[in-house]
Amino acid sequence: MTADNWGFVAAAYGLTAIVLLIYWRRLAKQERELEALNRSNAERSREPSSSGLPRPEPSSPTPLQRPGAPRP
Amino acid sequence: MVRALGWLTAVGLLVGIVMAFGVAPREVTQGNVQRIMYVHVPLILASYVAFGVLALASIVYLVRRDAAADRVAHASGEVGVMFVGLGIATGSIWGKPTWGTWWTWDARLTSVAILFVMYLGYLLLRGSIDDPERAARYSAVLGIVAALDIPLVHFSVYWWRTLHQPPSLMKPGGFTGSTSILWPLVVNLLAFMLLYAYFVARRVRVLRAEAEAAA
Repeated sequence: MTADNWGFVAAAYGLTAIVLLIYWRRLAKQERELEALNRSNAERSREPSSSGLPRPEPSSPTPLQRPGAPRP
Repeated sequence: MVRALGWLTAVGLLVGIVMAFGVAPREVTQGNVQRIMYVHVPLILASYVAFGVLALASIVYLVRRDAAADRVAHASGEVGVMFVGLGIATGSIWGKPTWGTWWTWDARLTSVAILFVMYLGYLLLRGSIDDPERAARYSAVLGIVAALDIPLVHFSVYWWRTLHQPPSLMKPGGFTGSTSILWPLVVNLLAFMLLYAYFVARRVRVLRAEAEAAA
C-alpha cells in the first residue's frame, strides 16, 4: 500500500490557490487605481481654466506639435 | 461579459476540485498524491495555449502594427509565465514523493525550465524598454522565437529518455486510462482554459486603460 502524502497534495493545491488569488487581487487593484486616475483626469479637463479660455483636450496637440508649426 | 466569464470560471474551478477529490479514484501505484495531476497538467497545457496565443498576436502586431494585438500578447505572456511557473512548482511537489527528488535535469524538466526563463525574459524585455513601440516590436520577435520551444517541451519525452512520464492527454491514440480519471482531468482543463481567458481579458482591459491614461 502506497503512502498517500496528503501534505504534498495540500501544498500543490494551496500554492496554486494562493498565487492565483494574489494575481486576481493585483488585477482588481490596478483596475481601481486606473479608474480613479482616469476619473480625476476627466474632472480636471472639465474645470474652467484661470484664463477663462477652454482647456485643450488631453489628447489634442499643443501649438508646437501641430503640423507646420515652427520648431524652436 | 468579463464578469460573466469570471463567474463561469469560478464554477468550473469548483466543479474541477470536487471531481478531482470526489469523483477521481485513488490511483493504485501512487496513492492520493496522484491527484496533483488534476492541477499540474491543466496548468501546463493552459500555458502552451497562452504562449501560442502570444506568438499569434505577435505575428499580427508585426504585420499590422495593431496595439490591441500587442496588448493581447503582453497579457497572454504574463498569465502564461504564471501558469508555467505554477506547473513547474506543482510538478516538483508531485516529483518528490513519486520520484524521490524535487528536481532532475532530464529533457522534459530542462526544456520546460528553459521555456519559463525565455518568457520571463520576454516580460523583462518589455519592462526594460521605455518606448512602447520599440518594446512591442522587440518582444514580439522574442515571443515568436520562444514559441519554438513548446513542441520541444511536448515531444521531449519521446525524443529522449526521461524520468517524466509520457503525456496523459495529448498523445497518439488519445487517453488510454479510465474515464473516472479522464473526466476530472478534462473538466479541470476546461476550467483552467476559462481562467486563462478571464485573466487575459482583465489584463488587456488594464493595459488599455494604462495606454489611455498615458496618452
